[in-house]
Formats: sequence, structure tokens, C-alpha cells
Amino acid sequence: MRRLSLATRLTVTFTVITAVCFILVGWLLYRAAEQRILEQDETNLVLSARHLRRLVAELDSIADLKTHQDRMVVSVLGDNSNALRMIDDAGQVIVDHNPMGFPLDANGAVPVGQRIVATMLHTWHGDQGLPIRGVAVVGQMRDGAHVTIMVARSLADREVLLRRYRRDMALRLLAGMLAAMVLSHLLVRRALRPLRSMAAEAATIHAQNLHTRLSAGNAPTELHALSHALNEMLDRLEGGFARVWQFTVDLAHDLRTPLGNLRGTNEVALARTRTPAEYQALLGSNIEECDRVSRTIESVLFLARADNPQFALQRSALDVGEELQRIADYFEGIASDARVSIDIQGSATLMADRELFRRAVGNLLSNALRYTPPDQTITLLARQTNDAVTVAVENPGAGIPQEHLDKLFDRFYRVDRSRSDSANSTGLGLSIVKSIMELHGGQVTVDSQLQGITRFVLWFPVH
Amino acid sequence: MRLLVIEDEKKAGEYLKKGLEESGFTVDVVANGIDGLHQALEEDYDLVVLDVMLPGMDGWEVLRRLRTKKDTPVLLLTAIDELEERVRGLELGGDDYLVKPFAFVELLARIRTLLRRGPPRDIEHVHIGDLEIDAVRRRVRRNGQRIDLTPKEFSLLQLLARRRGEVLSRTQIASYVWDMNFDSDTNVVEVAIRRLRAKIDDGHDTKLIHTVRGMGYVLDEERGDD
Repeated sequence: MRRLSLATRLTVTFTVITAVCFILVGWLLYRAAEQRILEQDETNLVLSARHLRRLVAELDSIADLKTHQDRMVVSVLGDNSNALRMIDDAGQVIVDHNPMGFPLDANGAVPVGQRIVATMLHTWHGDQGLPIRGVAVVGQMRDGAHVTIMVARSLADREVLLRRYRRDMALRLLAGMLAAMVLSHLLVRRALRPLRSMAAEAATIHAQNLHTRLSAGNAPTELHALSHALNEMLDRLEGGFARVWQFTVDLAHDLRTPLGNLRGTNEVALARTRTPAEYQALLGSNIEECDRVSRTIESVLFLARADNPQFALQRSALDVGEELQRIADYFEGIASDARVSIDIQGSATLMADRELFRRAVGNLLSNALRYTPPDQTITLLARQTNDAVTVAVENPGAGIPQEHLDKLFDRFYRVDRSRSDSANSTGLGLSIVKSIMELHGGQVTVDSQLQGITRFVLWFPVH
Repeated sequence: MRLLVIEDEKKAGEYLKKGLEESGFTVDVVANGIDGLHQALEEDYDLVVLDVMLPGMDGWEVLRRLRTKKDTPVLLLTAIDELEERVRGLELGGDDYLVKPFAFVELLARIRTLLRRGPPRDIEHVHIGDLEIDAVRRRVRRNGQRIDLTPKEFSLLQLLARRRGEVLSRTQIASYVWDMNFDSDTNVVEVAIRRLRAKIDDGHDTKLIHTVRGMGYVLDEERGDD
């Protein structure tokens, strides 16, 4: 089944709510009106009966009553639905006013002296189920003669009135519902218009114009959050695109340097005949340049793979102290050439990918060796806490200026571009460290004092 | 030893043939999978070097069909360095796996390892010129003079001696001696070789440890450049 649109759903909902309210209110009003009419009729009947009994009581005899017949009838005149009959004890009709000619009922007549109230009224039916409501009372004349007074009212006209009232109400309800439907549909469409314009705006955003932002404009506040969130997403995407772009440019530059060297040295060598030794030197240099390109490509591929969420870590339990010792051994030759010593402190155990752990620490240590002055010490420090293992690589030296620290782990970022030492360093070493730490759910941080200690810390969470 | 190289890239095929022939192998090169498979099945080769990305029939299919009939060792070459690729290659019955671009000496070393069949024997006493290596007592003498080496220096010397005459790349050395399998930006191996050379060769007229520029290091009595 096709999903209904929001506008349709809201319209239907509003219409149903309106209908329910209308019907409920209409029914209550109808009941109230019906009740009032009934009460009014009953009151009239009760009052008529009381009035007639009082009149009868003021008269002397049946004969007197006959002469004052008109006074009796007046009290019920003016409405053809009313009927009045008075009979004496012998059943002789004395007064009779019954324009509609419906049957009257003398049963259960209220005795003399008893107060007439509405509950004494009762209902019966005439021809064709004609509903009739009325009461019979007994009145006593001055001479002691009793007269039974019957007052009644046909309810037929009331039924007609109420029927018409019901029909009118139903028509009005229907009209109200239609109006509610149309109005709510228009309102909903109007309310959703900012959403449509936002969609239209979003549809125009491509990689080429990622700087475009959705205008909140006169959209309602509820949509501000959405457009704000979308704009923030665009900020992040734009940043990501910019980084990828920068990365591509830097990568191209990094590849151009060794290619330039290759081409240049080969062209110069070919310009004239060389000795075999010169050719050999050239070919050796060519291979070195190729190695450089390979290293850069390998690093870039590593970073790309590490960005892939499917990257599988080969975790195993590492004795961190032992690993640090092994890595220090590896760099021992370089360190003693530079007259730098490596001090290892602390111990810890850690579930991590051995190769990647070595690579991360190795990158930091080779960096530290590059920047530590002679006769100084690099410290590798392992620490275990309850929720983490940290490995710190600390070296004294000139230090890294503060403004470089947060960009240090960016790909191809070099603190000193002119002294880039790019033949040896790809400019990706620290990015790789960062990627390795992210793969482990950890992070790498750096702090540095000028002419003081530079400290890189690898933080591994322990689950 | 006869090798079959199945490689569609013309330049790559040529240099592989040349390099392998100069290293003492007889080499046939075929440029597509269908001919390669046919030739590998018809003729007797000691080893097949198989490029994975081939026109017509790819390397995986060649390997799969070859394995239904023959157990010739297969060394796979690929441009894709993914774990799944390696696993797939080995599951299909490949014997080794090398990612392009590779160092030629690395290829050579892998081929030799596959052809050697069985673990390399550890010779107790090695004599190279006037250099003696006692693997059991981990002692080294040159011209009768005892030379003190650190454990890592000894491992390095032992590796070079065992592969006497073979050029070993820096990556191979780092992996074997220190168990470090990442390509580092640093010249760790160069420094280690220099220190070892200072102990082994300094003060002797015949140099034993030689640098092959751009490729690696070799231990032998005679070697051209240095």
C-alpha cells in the first residue's frame, strides 16, 4: 500500500476530529433542546391542571361550571394540540375542547387536595401511534360535587419540530465537516510549504557548490532544527571534501618530486656516454626514487584501508614493555649514531594489533630520533590504568610551536616545509599513527614545550 | 630450473625474463591466461609466476584449473594488497603472494624459497673466505681473530651468510632480524649494516659485505660495486 502523504494524513485527522466534536456537541445540544421542550409542555400541562382545579373550586355547582365553560376553555385555547375535558362523577361530559379529537384518559386521576406535579403526567397513544401526554385531576366544587379534569397535549408537532431540528443539524454538521476538511488541507499545505522549498534547495546542492547552505528564512521554528542540522552536515561534508582535495594535491606534489628526480637524472645521464659505474649509480638512484614512490603509495593505501570500517584488526595480547624494548632495539643503531639513548620505563599488557602497535610506536620513535639533540635521552613510558594503557614517547629538543600542534596529524602536514627532509619522510607517518589509534578506538595526543620536552601519548582504551 | 611467467604487461614480462635468466633460471613468458594455463599443463615447470589480472582468463581461474591437474608451485603477483585477496590466493592453492610493485630481489628470494622446498638448513659452521661463523656457540672469527657482535648483529650476519651470494632487501632484513614488517622512513638497516661492516670488514683487504645500491646487501667474497 502506498504511504499516505503527510498533508493527506493531517487533513483526514483534522476532519475526523472536527466531525467527532461536531457530532458530540450537536447531540448534546439536541438533547438539551428536546429536554427543554418536553419540560415546557409538562410545565404548561401541570399549570393548566392546577389552574383548572382552582377555577373549579371557586364555582358553586356543575350548573355553574356549565355556564362558565368558556372560562375553562380559555386556559387551553390557542394551541390546537391541547385538549381539555371535564366530566362529573356520573361520567357526564361537562366541558369538552379537543380540536384534534384524540382519546383522553381519566385513569389515575389525582385526588382532591393532592398537589399536582410533573411526575404525575403520563403518556399514551392515539390513532397511528400519536403520542399524547397528559394528566387527570379531581376537583371539588363548593357544593361538594367532584369533577374530573383531563388536560392533555398531542406531542405530534414536537416530533415534527425535533425531526426538522435533527435534519438541519445533520446538514450543518456535514457542511462544517467539509469546510474543516478544505480549510485544514489548505492550512497543512501552507504549513508544509517551507519543507518543500527546503527540499528544493537541498536538491540543488552538488559537490561543486557544497558551500551553499539552506536558508531557514521564514520557516517555522520546528524546521530550524532540521535546516540547522542539514547545514552542519554540509559543513562537515565540505570540510571532508576540502581535506580530500588537499590530500589529492599534496599526494600529486609528493609524487611529482621523485618523478622529477627520475626524469631529470635520466635525461642528464643520457645526454652523453657515461662509464658503467655512472650508469650503475644512476640506476641505483632510480631504484631509490621508485622506493620513495612505493612508500608513499603504500602509506596512502594504508590510510585509505584504515578509513574503511571493515578493516580487521589482528588483536593479540601484547607485553608492552617487551614490545617497546624490541622497537628500541630496532632503532638502536640510529640512536647510537645520533648519540641519543632510549630509556624504557613501566610495563603494561594490552590487546592490540602487534604490527600496527609497532608501526605506531616506530613512527613516533623515528620522529623523536630526528629531533633529539646529541647526548640526550628519549623516554618510552608505558602506563596501565584501570580503563586504559598509555604509551608515551618523550624527547627533549627545540619543541614544536603551538600553532602546528593540532595540524600535526594531518596528512602530508610538515612543520617546516622547507626543511621537509622529504627524501626520507613521506609526511604521512603521524597520520598513520592517528589512523592506527582510531582503529584501536584510542587516540594520539601531543604536547610540546619550546626548548623542552615534546611528548606524544598513545592512549589505548581497555575494554 | 624452468620457470613459467604468465604476465600480460609487456615490460614487466621482459624484465622478469631477463632478471630471472640472469639469476640462472630458464624462463618462458606467456602474455595471457588461456595460453598460460595450456603451457603450464603441457610442459613441466618447476614454478609458475602468475599475474592475477590477466586478459581473457584471470589468474584465479588459471590457478584453479591448474590445481585440478598439477601441483606446480605458484607465486601470485597482484596489484591489490588486501587481506581477502591473500586469503583467496592461498585458498585456491597459491604457494606465495607478492604485491606490486615489489623489489626484484624480493621476488628472487621468494622463488628460491619455494624451490628449496623444506626449511633452510642451519649450518653449524660457515666459512666464507677467512670468516668463520659458529652458529652453535654464536661466535665469529675473521682471520682467526675473535669478533664480538651484539645478538642482533649476529642474527644479521647469520642471515647474510645463510643467503650467501643473494641480495637481501632492507625490508627482508628488517623483517627477519627485528621482526619489523612495516616500511619505515628510516635507514635502520643501513646503519646496522654499516656497524656490522665496521666490525667484520674494517682492517681487512677483502671486503665481504657489499652494498648493491638501491637493492640491498649481499655477503660474498667477491662482488662488483661497493
